Amino acid sequence: MQFEMMNVSKVYQASEENKVYGAKDINLKIESGDFSALVGPSGSGKTTLLNLIAGLILPTSGKLSHGGKDITFCSLEERTQHRLDYMGFIFQDYQLLPVLTAAENIEFPLQLKNLEQKEIKERVEWALKQVGLESMGHRFPRQLSGGQQQRVSIARAIATKPQLILADEPTANLDSKTAQDIIDLFKKLNQDFKLTFVFSTHDQRLIDQVRNVYYIKDAQIEKRINHA
Amino acid sequence: MNQFAFLVKFSYRNLWRNPKRTFIMLASLVIGTGFILWDLNFSESGSKEMMKRFLVQYQGNYQITNIDYYDVKNRKSVNNYKTLSDDKISDKSLFELTTKRVTAPVFISGASKTLGVLLSGLDIKRELELSKLNEMVKVGNFLSADGNKEIILGKKLAERINVKIGEEVGVIGQALDGSVANDLFKVVGLLDFGGGDLEESLAFTQLSTAQELMVMPPENYHQRVSFDMSEKPLPELDGVAVTSWETLLPEMSVSVRFIDKFTWLICIIIMVVVSLGLSNTLMITFLEREQEFQSLNIIGARASWITKSLLIEVFLLGTLAIIFGDMLGWFLTYLCHIYPINIAIFTNGKPIIMGGMVLMPTVRLYSVARYYWEVPLMIYLFIALTMIWPMIRVVRRSSHAI
Repeated sequence: MQFEMMNVSKVYQASEENKVYGAKDINLKIESGDFSALVGPSGSGKTTLLNLIAGLILPTSGKLSHGGKDITFCSLEERTQHRLDYMGFIFQDYQLLPVLTAAENIEFPLQLKNLEQKEIKERVEWALKQVGLESMGHRFPRQLSGGQQQRVSIARAIATKPQLILADEPTANLDSKTAQDIIDLFKKLNQDFKLTFVFSTHDQRLIDQVRNVYYIKDAQIEKRINHA
Repeated sequence: MNQFAFLVKFSYRNLWRNPKRTFIMLASLVIGTGFILWDLNFSESGSKEMMKRFLVQYQGNYQITNIDYYDVKNRKSVNNYKTLSDDKISDKSLFELTTKRVTAPVFISGASKTLGVLLSGLDIKRELELSKLNEMVKVGNFLSADGNKEIILGKKLAERINVKIGEEVGVIGQALDGSVANDLFKVVGLLDFGGGDLEESLAFTQLSTAQELMVMPPENYHQRVSFDMSEKPLPELDGVAVTSWETLLPEMSVSVRFIDKFTWLICIIIMVVVSLGLSNTLMITFLEREQEFQSLNIIGARASWITKSLLIEVFLLGTLAIIFGDMLGWFLTYLCHIYPINIAIFTNGKPIIMGGMVLMPTVRLYSVARYYWEVPLMIYLFIALTMIWPMIRVVRRSSHAI
């Protein structure tokens, strides 16, 4: 299912004279199975683009569609439901719930979707297996290393079988080897299950391994490179 | 149901993620609840005990009189009205304790002065079972059961007419037959009511002595009865009128009600103070997790889900507080049931004077069942009010960008 941004702009307006563009005339298509990265210096607008895609902020102008359906101005509740139904999220600092075990963290969005207990169990086991943490489901986040926590975060994102996974600087907090392992995991998930990933990153190793790179500068897509 | 169970598990663990803080919140609620329960039980038991003591000295929870007692004619012949027969009085289903009394206004003369007082004749043996008048005799002795022409006076009265133990006083009054009643009485004891008007306006002698002085036949007397009618309907007795003490003593009734309402007011003030502290702590607790709530919203948790999780968390806190608070309240009450509180510790050893009566109650606390659900309801209400503002702030800010 295709996600599309058409002439999308986001203006942060402190005053009449003081307008700041977070995104400017963005045209972007994310196809099913894409493995893309938004790249650019700090303040270039990468995160604004992720937020627009996720429906966490509304565009000032332009149109967003998902599977042909206009989702530009859905209500807050509709956007939250849309994220739950179609998206997964991976954060730089993992954002795991410290009071829940790894398995329960993965279970969390599945509970929000109100799935049957049997299906939840199966999906949690499947997700833990995909990230190589089958034996660590009972551990709390504080009992896991940074890399393991990020794996749990990835498992939580894929457990809902989303159409799009948005990852904000997923390797930024990890050491070199762990970061490479995580990148390999992303590639494997993309290849094995055709999961669609959009990264916001500075990590050159990740940039080198994605298929599409969108260079963002001054809130605009300056350049697109297709590694395929 | 699965989702709800998950929500409860999530909320419960969140409640204990900072155990020290939760313990402090819990402790403040438990102590507040326990103290409120103890205070209400103390107020209820104290009021009951005070009224019991008061009414025992006075006229019982209800005054049972001849139907015409308050008619003008009857009031003119104070000691000449019909009374309940001993047969009826002996009905224990109606009355716990009874005694006979006669009263008459008389003049009493000592070495230096003559004053008007109310002289009461007492059936000594039965009186001691019903009232604690003997405990008020601080100098000398109480009237002897088989004695004759003995008198006990209020301490102030004795000072004013200048008599001492062992000396004689002259008593002059109007007998029932209209003649002048007069005789000499030996002072055997002085009553110490801790001051007040009663000490200079009361005198007591034996029943037979008083009847003889006032030329009254033995069948003329008042019946003083004691019975707890608080949980029972008014007795239906032929030919007599029953008047509750609330009607007879409206000022006292208002005082007791005022104390009850005031106790509730104090309890509510305690809750408000505890709630303000709790609200502040909840605000800190919730705001510390703001980023977490934002992440939950990004993942797909609606504001209503986050609200529910916070509500359950605070509900669990309240429930734990109420369970332990109820237990603490019960324990404190039970402790004060085994070891009753002597009110004198609050009055520097002085008795309490209510409506002209002297009371020295020792309050034995009893648990009042309804408080054990009324107080929890109040706690839940205050906790709910307490969390509204912190919750609104958090939920408002839960929708946020990455």
